[in-house]
Amino acid sequence: MGRIQLHDIRKSFGAVDVLKGIDLTINEGELVVFVGPSGCGKSTLLRMIAGLDKPSSGRIEIDGVDVTPRSAADRGLAMVFQSYALYPHMTVRANMAFGLQNTNMPKPEIDARISEAARMLEIEPLLDRRPGQLSGGQRQRVAIGRAIVRRPTAFLLDEPLSNLDAELRVSMRAELSALHDRLGATMIHVTHDQVEAMTMADRIVVLRAGKVEQVDTPLNLFNRPANLFVAGFIGAPGMNLWAGQAKDGAVQLDSGARLPLPSGVTVPEGSVTLGIRPQHLRPMAGGPVRAEVRLIEALGPESVVHGDMGAGGTLLAVLAGQPDLARGTVIELGYDPQMAHVFGADGQRLA
Amino acid sequence: MTGVKGMLGAVVTAPLVALARVLEVPLRLWQRLTGQGGMVAFFLLPNMAIFTLFVLLPLVINIAYSMTTGAALFLPERTYVGAAQYERLLRCTDYTNLMTCQEDQFWIALRNTGTFVVLQVTLLIVAATITALILNRALRALSFWRAVFFFPVLLSPVVVGLIWRWILDRNGVLNAALVGMGMDPVNWLLERNYAFSAAIGVTIWAHLGFFALILLAGLQAIPRDLYEAAEMDGTKPARVFWRITLPLLMPNMLVVIVLALIRAVQVFDEAYVLTGGGPGTATLFLTQYIYEVGFASLLKNPGLAAAASILMGGVLIVLTLLQLALGKRNERKGRLK
Ligand SMILES: Nc1ncnc2c1ncn2[C@@H]1O[C@H](COP(=O)(O)OP(=O)(O)O)[C@@H](O)[C@H]1O
Ligand SMILES: [Mg+2]
Repeated sequence: MGRIQLHDIRKSFGAVDVLKGIDLTINEGELVVFVGPSGCGKSTLLRMIAGLDKPSSGRIEIDGVDVTPRSAADRGLAMVFQSYALYPHMTVRANMAFGLQNTNMPKPEIDARISEAARMLEIEPLLDRRPGQLSGGQRQRVAIGRAIVRRPTAFLLDEPLSNLDAELRVSMRAELSALHDRLGATMIHVTHDQVEAMTMADRIVVLRAGKVEQVDTPLNLFNRPANLFVAGFIGAPGMNLWAGQAKDGAVQLDSGARLPLPSGVTVPEGSVTLGIRPQHLRPMAGGPVRAEVRLIEALGPESVVHGDMGAGGTLLAVLAGQPDLARGTVIELGYDPQMAHVFGADGQRLA
Repeated sequence: MTGVKGMLGAVVTAPLVALARVLEVPLRLWQRLTGQGGMVAFFLLPNMAIFTLFVLLPLVINIAYSMTTGAALFLPERTYVGAAQYERLLRCTDYTNLMTCQEDQFWIALRNTGTFVVLQVTLLIVAATITALILNRALRALSFWRAVFFFPVLLSPVVVGLIWRWILDRNGVLNAALVGMGMDPVNWLLERNYAFSAAIGVTIWAHLGFFALILLAGLQAIPRDLYEAAEMDGTKPARVFWRITLPLLMPNMLVVIVLALIRAVQVFDEAYVLTGGGPGTATLFLTQYIYEVGFASLLKNPGLAAAASILMGGVLIVLTLLQLALGKRNERKGRLK
């Protein structure tokens, strides 16, 4: 239970097309993360799935049944809102019971479900408090608890961690993943934070401007981004993307540098963009990548080097340890050509 | 637009800025001489003076009046009678029969006002809540509808009374319409129950917008996602209203109820213009009673009127204290959140 399929989902608000045809299959028990920059339509898509908004066109199926015309309540899904949306005048217990009471569930059953969820989320001591008396992290747990007691076929979470402080966010991330393993239910998690997506997801759906850019596992997205947008969006710090002319197994940059292309792939001559992750660059005397050091962020175990390659090209490199570099000096770097990504003039991956 | 506003702003503020410059030197001197307490006194004094002159003093004089008798207007010329006026107001031989009361008019006015307050406030609150709920849904042309409902609030009460008398009068617009449709005219203002209902209806019409607007503000402060959470759970609309909307609206609602009570107890101008207290004493309310005993009747009795107004004042003070307490509680709750 909990297989969700989207067929050509479109949504327009007036003249503004927010979703431009989304096709997607989310498998049973999967933790899928929708990620993309703010305003790309993640919330809108999630609200379509939830049934809080109707798509302008397209079809939503849950376990093979077309639920597009169904109301939110009849889809068997539970949503955790970014603001938590807890009822402020009710105790935690009443908040969790509220949805179940709509179904005329017997009280002992409701109580049993609440205690089970409360134990799982370690919020038992809070059951008789009101949301106003809880910290942000505790409210977050209650919001999740309110979803759990419903035993939904799938959980929909819209940026559930964005109101937490950085430390709590990291621990909640792990807890949510653990909870997903334990419940085995389908989860759709929305975030604009690619690190959150990378750490939590079974599969990531990268969205941009109302379109799916790529759907794949975190590592596949990292290793084989399908296009320039995904290449730049996934991974931190972001991938170096250098535009140039491909010729004879190398890319000629405007600055004059000649950067080797991976072997074993045929790249047609012409405009391409070469992508190299900052982590894949390493110091190499006489290496093909030359840049003047502009800024060094020494993090301890590694250092992030910002550099200027001339002719408008910029460099980001993550070098191991604490290399002794001064601003203004020129560094020479090399890379394994097999680790390089090549994108055609249309932004799509060539290799 | 902003340019014009900015210019207007400058026109208004420029003289004020100049004034502030002129005042700065003496004010600083005063502060140096008297310290902070002196500044507080300086700013409070004008208001305190006005309040004392027009509110506190009349109140005290009124209490004094209520303990005197006679038709003389000046207090020193009046005869002290202690609590006799209160006794006269409150004494009945048989409290189950208001006709046996010495001041039966007072008791009738009291009973009318009581009935009026209960019915008018109940209906007003229900109507205002429904209006606010509908306005809260009306996404389109919201400001237009808000204006429509608020418009009567801006009318002078006398104008409200006149408009509705023009409509409900024996030879008024409504009867003309009825006759036009081949029906018999109805004496809306000359039949006890109709007249009383008209007083209730017209005062509701006049005040509805004010209360609906306060409630609307309360409704709009309820986060939308609470409703979406309830929608995800398949909550029926009635349950949403009773379990979510109403509890979250309660702080505003209580304030609105108390305000409506305070206004209803003081009902006068609209009703007086509309019915003049009639037919007979059917719509005679306390304020009108006080007004007539004190100023309008042949046997003016300012002492008795003062005593009645003090009694009514007591009720209003209780209600006002309630309102203040509610306000404080809301404020505290607001801070907790
Ligand atoms: N109800 C609405 N009416 C008009 N535009 C909307 C509405 N909801 C969302 N949008 C627009 O749709 C776009 C996507 O919004 P949203 O799905 O909230 O983005 P995200 O969650 O990815 O940040 C935004 O440009 C937003 O302004
Ligand atoms: Mg969003």
